[in-house]
Amino acid sequence: MNTGINVVALIVLIVLFAVVAVMGFLASRWRRPTSMESLDEWGLGGRSFGTWVTWFLLGGDLYTAYTFVAVPAAMFSAGAVSGFFAVPYTIVLYPIIFVFMSRLWSVSHRHGYVTPADFVAGRHGSRGLSLAIAVTGFVATMPYIALQLVGIQAVLEVAGVGGGGNAFAADAPLFVAFILLAIYTYTSGLRAPAIIAFVKDILIYLVIIVAVIYLPSKFGGWAHIFDVAQAKGDASVAAARTSGKPAAFTFLPGGQQYWAYASLALGSAMALFMYPHSITATLSSKSRNTIRRNAAILPAYSFVLGLLALLGWIAIAAGTKPIGLNGKANPQLIIPQLFEDSFPAWFAGVAFAAIAIGALVPAAIMSIAAANTFTRNIYKEWIKPDATPKQEAQVSKIASLVVKAFALVFVLTMDKQNAINLQLLGGIWILQTFPSIVFSLYTRWFHRWGLLLGWAVGMIYGTVKAYGVASAATPHFGGSLAAIEGWGNLGYIAVTAFVLNVVVSVVATLVLRAVDAPAGTDVTIPADYFADEGDPRVVRLPATPAESTPSP
Amino acid sequence: MSPSANPYRPGRPAAHEAPPANTGLLVVAGVLLAIPVVALLLVNTYARKEPTLGGFPFFIWYQFLWVFLCSGFTYAAYRIVLIARPHVPMTEDGTAYLDGPSPTPTLEKEGDR
Repeated sequence: MNTGINVVALIVLIVLFAVVAVMGFLASRWRRPTSMESLDEWGLGGRSFGTWVTWFLLGGDLYTAYTFVAVPAAMFSAGAVSGFFAVPYTIVLYPIIFVFMSRLWSVSHRHGYVTPADFVAGRHGSRGLSLAIAVTGFVATMPYIALQLVGIQAVLEVAGVGGGGNAFAADAPLFVAFILLAIYTYTSGLRAPAIIAFVKDILIYLVIIVAVIYLPSKFGGWAHIFDVAQAKGDASVAAARTSGKPAAFTFLPGGQQYWAYASLALGSAMALFMYPHSITATLSSKSRNTIRRNAAILPAYSFVLGLLALLGWIAIAAGTKPIGLNGKANPQLIIPQLFEDSFPAWFAGVAFAAIAIGALVPAAIMSIAAANTFTRNIYKEWIKPDATPKQEAQVSKIASLVVKAFALVFVLTMDKQNAINLQLLGGIWILQTFPSIVFSLYTRWFHRWGLLLGWAVGMIYGTVKAYGVASAATPHFGGSLAAIEGWGNLGYIAVTAFVLNVVVSVVATLVLRAVDAPAGTDVTIPADYFADEGDPRVVRLPATPAESTPSP
Repeated sequence: MSPSANPYRPGRPAAHEAPPANTGLLVVAGVLLAIPVVALLLVNTYARKEPTLGGFPFFIWYQFLWVFLCSGFTYAAYRIVLIARPHVPMTEDGTAYLDGPSPTPTLEKEGDR
């Protein structure tokens, strides 16, 4: 139960937070660039990160604080289908990105692309399609940033600050945390989260390893923990049989849930590297094969995520009660609450810090990626085409502040549930950019307008379906699963929408090609997709690509 | 515009084909990458409790096992693609590949031009 402020834990949390803030400010001196005044330096860390820095950066970027809060919370309250799918998701992720991310790296290296929409614009010569990709990425990222704040809030609430009472005093800690984050992101760019990711990951590994060794012995051993989870599942199924509603908690997926589980894993894996922040972290690596080596070593985080998911079931055996400061049950508090109940105060503080700092890294990268997207694909493309690299960097820095301020206002003024709903929706939306980005890395067969039409159909279908999903917490956008037309089984809406998207793109392309609709100019050549560190970069030309300008 | 025209240097061909590759090895790498994905999507093969291992249901430990297997398969695929398609540096203006030790002697499409 929450009884006031946990002073020791709070002090440990504040000290670690301060250390990280100082590191964030000093990061601009790391591998000191000659100038921070370009997107390559500020927004991509000079495209200089090697295998290990990229490993920490991507690990910090993909396995967010919200993941650490939400996955065990889902295991605790809904069981394996909604919770443990995160494990197969983050396994199948790596073979998938292994295949296409190095091509994206190469073509971006050659042409100086910073965002996926940059690539789509170059490949298809289509401002409309590029704008659609940019807006989708931007809009999908915003609630994701807000959710990182929800993660920090969960920790602060269990530590005894925030929540009800005086609104200003309650929200002050979150405010301070975000001001610090905003300033060092502004000054150090992508170098700040790259440095902080080291601390974050070490703390997370430490906390999880201690937790999975110590907690099971405290609560009766693993076999007992799984028995308790199974008993909860059986009770839930029995209750469902009498009430006629679907079971609220599943121990292991049943026959009707196989596709739900598989499609959640596959769809999430395909979607993750469509997010601008994942692409930013990939493009900041210094060579074509950095991402491939990382595909082999990043699963270390998936292992930790699996252990973390099981903490949700440990909490069931431990009888943890996640009650918020407002007196209502909130499953999102389950992990901080379990730590506070089971560990000495100082170690609970370390665990809280791990989660809070775990929020800063992705929040910084996401805001940088959203800002880069705005700068490149909206400001430069539509507002000021002759912007210099220095102006680009300046606009991006300011945009990163605006994006974070928006996320803060969102979390402080609106119900948390909105952020969660929108993030679910964002996952559905972002997968609809997959054909335009990934298929285009391999082929120009798809017509730009066909891809745009497919995207639009996928977006609309996904949004409508998600609107129709109710849950106990919310009447609309209550989950990611819906019955598939003509089959009846539950599936991840994003995947169903994606299939529709591809079918529409193919049919529309066939029609458009039959009527000889004009395809845009492709400024890339096949060799671009295999370029590596050291290969020359294409000199950007003004105006039309047909004009010949002598290369220097 | 023909696919091999160079938009930056009209009239001059650009380096237009992918660097030479050993297709057989690329297929092997592709299969290695596909195995973990297919294995984990077949949920019916592992959605059960028995046999347990140290108290862990099969469903749980089997997926943990795949974390390591997938990492191994991916690393093997990485080593294979390095051999299958070695990097060939580009010339300064990016319009051709530098002549260098080329593992497979000719580009198949070379004769088309």
